[in-house]
Amino acid sequence: MKKKIGVYICHCGGNISDYVDVNKVREAVESEAGVFLSKTTMFACADSNQKDMVTDIKEKQLDGVVVASCSPKLHLLTFRGVTERAGLNKYNYVHANIREQVSWAHSDNKTGATEKAIQIVKAAIAKVRNAESLEPVKVKSTKAVAVVGAGIAGMRAAIELAEAGAEVYLIEREFFVGGRVAQWDDLCVTDETGKELITRLYDEVMKHKHVTLFTGAEIVENKGSVGNFQIKVKVQPRHFKLQCSGNELQKAIDICPVEVPDEFNFNITTRKAIYHNYPSEYPQLPAIDMKSCTRCGKCETVCSAVDFSQKTEVLNLKVGSILLATGFDPYEPPKGEFGYGEINNVVTLPQFKRIIHYNDEKLMYQGKEIKNIAYIYCVGSRQLNGENKYCSRYCCTSTIHTAITAKKKYKGIHNFHFNRGIRTYGKAEVRYDESSRLGDIYLQSFEYDPPVIEQRNGQTFVKIKDLLTANKELEVAADLVVLVTGMVPRKDNSIGNLLKVPKGRDKFFNEIHMKLRPVETVIDGVTIAGAGQGPKNIVESMNSALSAATKSFSLIDSGELALEPTVAEVNEETCEWCGKCDEACPYSAFEKVEKEGKMIAKVIPSVCKGCGMCLPVCSSNSIDLIGLSDKDVESMIDVLIK
Amino acid sequence: MATINPGFSDELKKYGAFDLNACYNCGNCTAVCTLSDEENSFPRKMIRYSVLGLKDEIEVSLDPWLCYYCGECSTTCPREADPGELMMSLRRWLTARYDWTGLSGLLYKSLPASVFAFLLLAVVVIWFGIAQKLNVQAIMHYGHLFEMAAITLVFALILLPNILHMWWLTIYKPGIKAPFTAYVKSLQDLVVHMFTQKRALGCDDNRFRWFEHFVLVLGYLLLLFTTVFLNWFETSNLFVIVLGYVESIIILMVTFDFVRRRIQQDAAISINSHPSDWFFVIWLFLMGLTAFLVRLFIDLNILETNVWLYLVHLIILVQWALLIVPFGKWTHFLYRSFAIYFHRVGELKME
Ligand SMILES: Cc1cc2nc3c(=O)[nH]c(=O)nc-3n(C[C@H](O)[C@H](O)[C@H](O)COP(=O)(O)OP(=O)(O)OC[C@H]3O[C@@H](n4cnc5c(N)ncnc54)[C@H](O)[C@@H]3O)c2cc1C
Ligand code: SF4
Ligand code: SF4
Repeated sequence: MKKKIGVYICHCGGNISDYVDVNKVREAVESEAGVFLSKTTMFACADSNQKDMVTDIKEKQLDGVVVASCSPKLHLLTFRGVTERAGLNKYNYVHANIREQVSWAHSDNKTGATEKAIQIVKAAIAKVRNAESLEPVKVKSTKAVAVVGAGIAGMRAAIELAEAGAEVYLIEREFFVGGRVAQWDDLCVTDETGKELITRLYDEVMKHKHVTLFTGAEIVENKGSVGNFQIKVKVQPRHFKLQCSGNELQKAIDICPVEVPDEFNFNITTRKAIYHNYPSEYPQLPAIDMKSCTRCGKCETVCSAVDFSQKTEVLNLKVGSILLATGFDPYEPPKGEFGYGEINNVVTLPQFKRIIHYNDEKLMYQGKEIKNIAYIYCVGSRQLNGENKYCSRYCCTSTIHTAITAKKKYKGIHNFHFNRGIRTYGKAEVRYDESSRLGDIYLQSFEYDPPVIEQRNGQTFVKIKDLLTANKELEVAADLVVLVTGMVPRKDNSIGNLLKVPKGRDKFFNEIHMKLRPVETVIDGVTIAGAGQGPKNIVESMNSALSAATKSFSLIDSGELALEPTVAEVNEETCEWCGKCDEACPYSAFEKVEKEGKMIAKVIPSVCKGCGMCLPVCSSNSIDLIGLSDKDVESMIDVLIK
Repeated sequence: MATINPGFSDELKKYGAFDLNACYNCGNCTAVCTLSDEENSFPRKMIRYSVLGLKDEIEVSLDPWLCYYCGECSTTCPREADPGELMMSLRRWLTARYDWTGLSGLLYKSLPASVFAFLLLAVVVIWFGIAQKLNVQAIMHYGHLFEMAAITLVFALILLPNILHMWWLTIYKPGIKAPFTAYVKSLQDLVVHMFTQKRALGCDDNRFRWFEHFVLVLGYLLLLFTTVFLNWFETSNLFVIVLGYVESIIILMVTFDFVRRRIQQDAAISINSHPSDWFFVIWLFLMGLTAFLVRLFIDLNILETNVWLYLVHLIILVQWALLIVPFGKWTHFLYRSFAIYFHRVGELKME
């Protein structure tokens, strides 16, 4: 039981004291058991007050501290820091929120607000009376990071981590690196092409002997927790020997009888079961796609590098942190959305980029020359009825950039942009300016009044009630309709389930806090980067990759981790293992272990988040939370109902 | 349902210098323009129609004529799309559209064609003078006849049909049904505007320009009257002689000021000068100058020995009457007055 508790009540410059009589609160609590000192202060968080608190704690030998101020989300850590600086264990600090929970919520009732504030501060004092000093949980961490996905974000993060001194396993599911960026030729807002960027990154990755790249590889199992993840990586063979002559390869590709839609080109072309994406892709070694290969063996007869004897391998790796950079899929419109899949000259933006890639002199599609191109924006983004409420961010810019590319590459192109308000934010605004000066026409409507596609006499028309022309009905005869499709999470996002990374409302991986902790997930040790976290362009993907790499590195750098000790604890005597806690735990923090002849539950402290989900389901009431025990909570309730 | 025609802006660009495609529909021009109201987004609507190439909408509209080119929109436009100059170009385009002969369009779009036409007329006049053995009396006599014939014929064959065409496009085609009385009631507006260009006064900061304009129109019409109907060059009435001098000096002064401004580009309106603008002011200036000199030479009794002066005057006059008046910028004065007239008629239409 503490005897020297210090209580500080904050005015918050008037935010609190305009509605709560802070002096009255101080008077009401000064005689509470254990309270040695009570003060009011204009700004508790101000430097000067923090210094005063440190002096108080040191000189008066305080053994517990309460600050009644704003939300603990803002300043819990600040005041824990103050107690630590004064040499008092930080778990002897308790925070009382009398701003968000009192003064702001009850600005219409000052007397009531003051009474409520008194109760809340008293409850905090009750809690601090029982507080115990706690030490962080220390765990060893392996100085290695698994980076999942070798798109630009993954490669950039791998380079950064290797440069900092970590061992890096770069795990790519496809047989080739680069992700989506390898699929786009020219990029905004740079003069480099996607391939050039990928080449640069790949060369850098390969320079680092601490980066091991696995292609055709996927994490299939995960055990352990931050500092100590034990992952199993399944690596598919390419079925090619390292030495392979271009001549023989071409013969093998020619002879292969299997032809499947080429996903690299978004199915506008086909490829063989033996394939490579483009002549200079990385690694520069073809692969056989075993899902479609019929094992007819014809390729073996013409190419000595084909090797069907290669086997799938499963590797066990130990890493201290996992960085997810698995990217996105372009939205695939359902059949019939703006005529997609029904009208043959309706394509998506990614397809259009590939069409441009394959046409040099004239822009041809399905045997016809294209002159008038209609772009329909926000397809699959900012949906009125669908689930994708978000803006995909990259697409306005990329569409305008692509439209300019087409206009400059071919003669006589007219671009018509059916948009919902152009969002070429930042530097990309200059592209918008350029495109309109080149004569591109912009037409705008609201989401509830989208453009309509119609076919008459073999011609495709796009109609719109144009906001910019006083809602006049306008029509364009389009040779090609390009649906500006947004970004959606990867179709196969099983890696997220495997690692239990939560997803946001948009179904992308979710960070802890958009602004304050933008690359961490609630799973300690798992960070996220790139477009797997939500729509991002290359610059934004790079930024998040660098930030996630730094965060991951900070977890493994010292070889040891200090984790919050406020976790669940099992009473070994009363526990009879029923398994309910294990079911309730969202983080899989329970282990079933044998103890003195019986099975009981054991908490893995480095995995437990102290969320308390297991407490109410335990039938024998054998679980308690350290730092927020039943006893603590009961003592607070007692004060509140007095 | 209107179909977009992206080729139109290229056609329009031949009628003037501006970067209409730069417009991103911010509406600053509309916010600053005194002509715009809740119903009519002035001049953005016309910019939008031009970008989209909605010719049908543009040709039935009187809006371009209601604009007096104060230039505020061009100064305000953040994209420097020069909306004011676009309105000017639309007026040229409409002039060409109304003109049944198609010559207006040709002369506007092609400077070589204009130069050729001017030279051709000069050659014809010189040839005529030589055929008359350079006899001043004879040439002057025919010159006077020409003036009268030109006024009648240009009006009957070109201007009247074109105004009817304008009426057909802007009143009849859009289905505006106005009673006969509306036409009568609105006549007052026609006359007042024709002489005073009263509406221009609504634009900011250009009272002096308006005044100059007013004086010029008055001087021009009076000089026309004095030379054609009072036969200034052959009269011996002292009052008429002095009147003619005063009028030609006024024209000289005002046009001189206009040319100076175009050269110094001191107002938005003067920044982009189309060849047709230069032809207009310079020829007006030359007309004033040569008329003044011709009468001066007569009074000094030296015209007989300087026939060339009268020939020059006649060349200027013929070019003015056969090119600039029926097909050039002069028509703007006419169409603008009628636009205001038709606009007024439209306001009085049957509900
Ligand atoms: C049509 C279009 C045009 C664009 N143009 C531009 C542009 O001009 N400029 C610009 O800045 N941005 C552009 N972007 C955006 C750009 O493509 C993205 O910012 C970028 O691709 C994001 O990179 P990433 O590494 O996060 O993801 P990705 O490029 O998607 O890479 C992710 C990688 O992870 C791999 N992977 C996925 N799941 C797993 C798994 N479970 N295990 C292992 N590996 C896995 C994938 O195979 C892939 O290689 C464009 C986007 C589109 C759709
Ligand atoms: S970036 Fe543009 S096209 Fe893409 S979703 Fe956002 S507003 Fe729509
Ligand atoms: S101010 Fe310029 S950019 Fe804005 S609407 Fe007018 S013309 Fe267009």
